[in-house]
Amino acid sequence: MMHCTMDDVLALAAGEASAWARQHVAGCAACRAELEALYQRVAQLKALPARRPARDRWPAVRDAALVERRRRRERWGVSGLAAAAALAGLLVFRPFWTKSVDAAELARVKEESATLEQQLGRYDSDGRVTSGRSAALAAALEDRIAVIDGELAQVGPSEAQARSADLVNLWQQRVDLMEQLVSVRVTRAAYVGL
Amino acid sequence: MTISLAVPDILVARAKSGDLEALEALYRAFETPVYNLALRVLRRPEDAEDVLQETFLEVVRSIKQYRGEGHLWGWIRQIATSKALMRIRHDRVRETEEFHEESAAGAGAGEAAGVGVRAGSGGMSPGAVPAQIDLERAFEQLSETSRAVVWLHDVEGYTHEEIAERMGKTVSFSKSQLARAHVRLRRMLDEGVAR
Repeated sequence: MMHCTMDDVLALAAGEASAWARQHVAGCAACRAELEALYQRVAQLKALPARRPARDRWPAVRDAALVERRRRRERWGVSGLAAAAALAGLLVFRPFWTKSVDAAELARVKEESATLEQQLGRYDSDGRVTSGRSAALAAALEDRIAVIDGELAQVGPSEAQARSADLVNLWQQRVDLMEQLVSVRVTRAAYVGL
Repeated sequence: MTISLAVPDILVARAKSGDLEALEALYRAFETPVYNLALRVLRRPEDAEDVLQETFLEVVRSIKQYRGEGHLWGWIRQIATSKALMRIRHDRVRETEEFHEESAAGAGAGEAAGVGVRAGSGGMSPGAVPAQIDLERAFEQLSETSRAVVWLHDVEGYTHEEIAERMGKTVSFSKSQLARAHVRLRRMLDEGVAR
């Protein structure tokens, strides 16, 4: 007598069996037993006891995440230099513009930004995190600043005239974000007693 | 293995903003299921721990890309499965292991169509449920590929199409691996190999 193969039994369990297999299993105790045994094996596999890792791997994950964030900040620092260079270029080439950029306003926000950079340097993160929320907030602020720096870096002298108002606006946004970032850092420093 | 995998939306939102405390909470919530998936497939605890670490590094990097479509566990499980399968592909020991298993199993592939030969013999009766520990040990004796297919299909609920896609194989490969694995499991349990 021909019986179901394991392929047939698996297909029966999945509801995808051939007409022959469905008909056969209805009248064959051995194949019904095989199908039942399959159900039980699967149920027992699902019921296997949960194991727990011997070592806690979260510290390694967290440390790697912090290293990546630090590298991102370093990249952001490079972007900041590029932005500063771009601004310097804009100021240098200002005499060639037909309409003057509001140099005083630009100089003001630039000076403000530089001051904030100095403040930030005093509270620079050393990788220690006392609050996940503050770390996340700082990371979000840094991301937004990096975006602005990227935009500033892309503005060359040829575009500066048309985008003079944009430049002032971007630098002002940068200053606002820097102020928030310094605030986060100051709070953190006060918390850890730096 | 019954573990609650529900996490509050606010926790996910905090994790997406980069909150390390929230990310750690997600790690604690999914540490056991990720580790168990990897352990069942790879068998070696140290490999499973490595997959656990790699999975959550990816979660930390990519959580912003999780759009909340479907359960978070489904998203994390995809990452864990991918990491575990990648480790199988890169594991040079695997070939040796499979060679030994093939040798031990004899005509294992041909036996996939061999349920019928047990009729009238001393096959397992419906009431002879093997002890759980025996099944666990028998399962561990399967090859990594077979364990992966059985675990992903029978326990995690992946379809053959999904398994084939993740393993870079065909659907028929997944189906035949599953059938062969169940033939071997049944035989080991019948013969008391795992006892």
